[in-house]
Amino acid sequence: MEKQVLRLKINGDEYEIFIHPKTLLAEAIRDYVGLTGTKRGCDTVSCGACTVTVNGMSVKSCSVLAVQCEGMDITTVEGLEKNGKLSPIQRAFLDHGSYQCGFCTPGMLMSSTAFLDELGGKKPSEEEIRESIEGNICRCTGYNSIVRAIDAVAQGNYKEE
Amino acid sequence: MINDFHYLKPASVKEALAMYAEHDDCKIICGGQSLLIVLRQGMLAPEYLIDIKRLDELKYIKFDDKDGLRLGATTTHREIEKSDVIAKKYPALVAMEQKLASIQTRNWGTIGGNLAHADPAGDPGPVLIALKAEIKFGNAKGETTVPLDEFFVDYFETKMEHGDLVLEVHVPAPDSKSGCAYQKFNLLDSEMGIVAAAASVALNADGTCKDARVVLGNAGPTPLRVTKAEDLLKGKKLNDKLFEEAGKIASEEAQPVADIHASEEHRRHVLGVLTKRMLKKAFEQAQKAA
Amino acid sequence: MSHKKYTVINTPVHNIDGVAKVTGRATYAFDVTLPGMLYGKILRSPHPHARVVSIDTSKAEQFPGVRGVVTGKDTLGIKQGIWRRYEELCDEQILPLEKVRYIGEPVAAVAAITEEIAEKALDLIEVEYEVLPAVYEPLEAIKKEAPTIHEGVERNINVTRHIEWGDVDDAFEDADYIREDWFKCSGQHHMCMETRGAVSSFTPEGKLTCWTGTQSAYYHQGLLAGVLGLREGDVRIIAPYTGGGFGGKFELDAAQFCSAVLSMKLHKPVKIIFTREEDFIASKRRTPMFYYVRTGVKKDGTFCARESRMFSNGGAYTGMGATALYLTGFFHSFPYKWRGYRYDGYRVYTNTMPSTSMRGFGAPQAMFCSEQQIDWICADLGLDPFEVRRKNGHTEGYEVPGQAFIASCGLEQCINEIENWVKSKGKLPANRGIGISSCGFMSGGIFNWFDTPYSFSSAVVTINVDGTVEVHVGCQDIGQGSNTTMAIIAAETLGVKMEDIKIHSGDTDHCPADLGAWGSRQTLMTGNAVKMACEDAKKQLLEFAYAEMGINIVYDLDIKDRWVHIVARPERGMKYEDLVKKALRGKDGQRIMGRGYYTPHRKGMISPAYSYMMQAVDAEIDPETGRIKIHEVMTAHDCGQPINPLGLMGQLEGAASMALGYAYLEDMPFEDGKMMNPNLVDYKVIRAPEMPKTPIIEIDTYEPEGPYGAKEAGEGLTNPTAAALGNAVFNALGIQMKELPISPERIRKALAEKKAQEAQK
Repeated sequence: MEKQVLRLKINGDEYEIFIHPKTLLAEAIRDYVGLTGTKRGCDTVSCGACTVTVNGMSVKSCSVLAVQCEGMDITTVEGLEKNGKLSPIQRAFLDHGSYQCGFCTPGMLMSSTAFLDELGGKKPSEEEIRESIEGNICRCTGYNSIVRAIDAVAQGNYKEE
Repeated sequence: MINDFHYLKPASVKEALAMYAEHDDCKIICGGQSLLIVLRQGMLAPEYLIDIKRLDELKYIKFDDKDGLRLGATTTHREIEKSDVIAKKYPALVAMEQKLASIQTRNWGTIGGNLAHADPAGDPGPVLIALKAEIKFGNAKGETTVPLDEFFVDYFETKMEHGDLVLEVHVPAPDSKSGCAYQKFNLLDSEMGIVAAAASVALNADGTCKDARVVLGNAGPTPLRVTKAEDLLKGKKLNDKLFEEAGKIASEEAQPVADIHASEEHRRHVLGVLTKRMLKKAFEQAQKAA
Repeated sequence: MSHKKYTVINTPVHNIDGVAKVTGRATYAFDVTLPGMLYGKILRSPHPHARVVSIDTSKAEQFPGVRGVVTGKDTLGIKQGIWRRYEELCDEQILPLEKVRYIGEPVAAVAAITEEIAEKALDLIEVEYEVLPAVYEPLEAIKKEAPTIHEGVERNINVTRHIEWGDVDDAFEDADYIREDWFKCSGQHHMCMETRGAVSSFTPEGKLTCWTGTQSAYYHQGLLAGVLGLREGDVRIIAPYTGGGFGGKFELDAAQFCSAVLSMKLHKPVKIIFTREEDFIASKRRTPMFYYVRTGVKKDGTFCARESRMFSNGGAYTGMGATALYLTGFFHSFPYKWRGYRYDGYRVYTNTMPSTSMRGFGAPQAMFCSEQQIDWICADLGLDPFEVRRKNGHTEGYEVPGQAFIASCGLEQCINEIENWVKSKGKLPANRGIGISSCGFMSGGIFNWFDTPYSFSSAVVTINVDGTVEVHVGCQDIGQGSNTTMAIIAAETLGVKMEDIKIHSGDTDHCPADLGAWGSRQTLMTGNAVKMACEDAKKQLLEFAYAEMGINIVYDLDIKDRWVHIVARPERGMKYEDLVKKALRGKDGQRIMGRGYYTPHRKGMISPAYSYMMQAVDAEIDPETGRIKIHEVMTAHDCGQPINPLGLMGQLEGAASMALGYAYLEDMPFEDGKMMNPNLVDYKVIRAPEMPKTPIIEIDTYEPEGPYGAKEAGEGLTNPTAAALGNAVFNALGIQMKELPISPERIRKALAEKKAQEAQK
């Protein structure tokens, strides 16, 4: 089957790649564009390690065809920092020790970022915070430090630098 | 590994249906949340894939006091979950969506895709059937509307034939004194139910049961309407004893299949418990309703 | 107060790998790409037990894009194992020549220019098997008529262990009450977020480099060199960041071995990454155990004797299973004083995936049996579970006869704290209960089963002219934060700041040997090595300071916060950076270097130090469906001196999530040797909405053997939870859960049995 040119906008940058239409967004990001921050941890759309945002919505990039994302704004973990300045949620993760082996961390950060952006300043309940990362498995931390970090940002303890 | 396919991207529903009619070995992809898993496992290898994800024609949530709710097929689960009008008029739908898979899946997956996939463990089916929904599908030649409980035919099989596309789900305006509740039994909150039950109750002015629906999830090849339990309740003054009895009937009528997660006995038992509880919950909602 | 106030130790420092991990810069073996790299896939046995009659790889080799195929005949045919000291336990030949012993065992491997081509080529490899009868359960496998899995191993009994002290029969005679129970403990999977994987590159000068996730770069160096016929020094293991280990990543696995064999044949880098399904079925798991426990006590609750017999499902090969066999038997006595104690463990081969170490190392299973039975004995005799534990618990200075010396023990304080907490909860609503469990755990093991000639841990510290410090260690950071812990210890000892320390680990070409991350050993063992190395370097530095400052001989100098000062008169001193410059000049331009190392000597049979804890689980059960909701997990914990508080919290919460999974969610059902749920839909790992709050109280003790008084914190915390949940269920519903996981169906069954028994009365 024929390959095709695909233009993807990732972290504000335009990339042009040459792919089979069956290429998953996760494969496009990791293998074709070379951004390996986004990880993959399963074959059943279960673990969430591949989470990125597309037009601000969190999606599991292993279950989205890359071709469906043309013209959309894709953000990966590499796009969270701005000119070497970490985003509020990244700083909160550092302060709260919200990571250990780090493999789930990019996906967690993307789910958290989408959730915090959607809140628009509203203060979430603990249940809502836990629900926001329900789709992301972490085997190391037991989630509670991640919940604390998200809460700290939601409470306004971290401003954009 | 996904097998290669030709990728087609129609600009309109009409074009999509024409493409679908033209190619024999093809599948529709929208959110792909169910389809991609099937493709990756090599269970399906269509030559053509028609992408309807960007067909905004089919992306809408419309509510009218008389006509009820109309959901376009490419509406995402998340849009349903976040809809104010649905939260107000059909809170059971929002509650169901909140526990459907994960946010990431709900952001991209669609109601049309979910129903077309026809997984008897799927969450929307039982709730929509309890809400008396009907589904419209069409092909290049025309459209058909059927009650949702007649739409599902077997495991992962619907009344649709090659060339048919889900177009819209229509949920009638709720009765003034009605309620609907859904619960799945699982170990982790958002996973598919090992079994599930949806119940709706509508009351007459005198408080007796005007109408009831009992729909079981993952209790057979399709969402299972237990009309025997429904008939038990119609016209009666509802109470715990009746709910218990209805649960027993549901337990007996169900056709659950055992697997590593639970035996048949446990599934039947829990279906009975869930039915009893959801009927009671729906009843209490109906009593409180204006 | 044993816990002192330190400058760096026990302060909330950031993990030193934090920025890399939160910005996506951290790369794992999963991410490694090399020029000319090929992709490998493994063909696996579909049979649980079969003779390999022939393997025809010709069609696969000719498939376009395939560069090579290897089978056992491309290897030296060496049977390897991590218990190197005992040849009979080195029983696993990866890519076997004669026989396969479990479904999923690797039989061939393909390297191709894309992953997809390699996968397609697998279907073209033709293997002829002679299927043999198989056996899956240890109690079946020990029968005379059971098929023999390893030639010459009678009754499939792989290893046995006997632990005994005191006059057990006499102690039983003395008991007023004796209780016996059988338990069935399930397996569990490590389920690291990063699956197993490796990139191997063999180059024309005869050297192999292998990038892989690992818990011990040194172990993998030794094991790979051994099976490939290379010198250890010709094998370089590079551990980029490792995405979790939990006991499953320090043995040689097929990703490392097959990628190396392929690379040696093709002289190209080869990458093999396990899919999640492969990771589930073809690695090694926590050991399933059948436990028989007989305990005798006095009517006032004083423990007299315990006798246990345990049959474990060893699966097809030994792996680390021999260690688990011993540790479960030892920790089954923990943390109590027994007049007489006897344990007999039997590890039995079966035709299922091998079982090995997993966080807790046999202790979670041991506690599930012991701690529940103690609660049932208390209920039988009308005794208070806290009082009975306090009465019999270990104390500082106790010697477990012939096994261990307890130099620090905060158990009693732990019990007191939890007792207060439980009392503060008051009367609970129906169907809700709180269950407790105490336990303890090792801070690294003393037994040299790997047969290393090296110190168990080593460290080299070098001070640069600008005051920055290079610390070379062999400990492995798998997420638990050992790099950070070593940086903290180094900064504290040298008297500098965290940002002055650079930790070098995870590369056998540049780092000293270290046994790695298992048995919760690194804080104590590598920590001691780092402390020793830094004290050595500091002493050399201070020699120049003494000369420079010309102070009275009775005064001592020390360094704190980059300030070299007289301890008695801290305002008098000099800057650390200035001292370093002078010292370098004074040493002819040579940097100050310090060396440190640690190997436990004369520390008993198990470990140089033990942590202690008590945990309480608050759970609610829906009796109609059996569904469990965990409300809270409260832990009182003694790890001596906490070094990295954020890391410690992370270890507690992470351990609780894994242990809760073991208790009621995770299961590995097998049918005819096939794992039925090798995916993350059907294998249920706890997620954020189900994770309860996990408060912790740290008890203040000081462990003389540990650096700054520290001992383990990370593995021990996995031990009590299944038992505590079982006791919570007993507390709430009066039913005894003797089988793991505690599932809704088992709860309903137990309730029905209880109801039937009561009806009979």
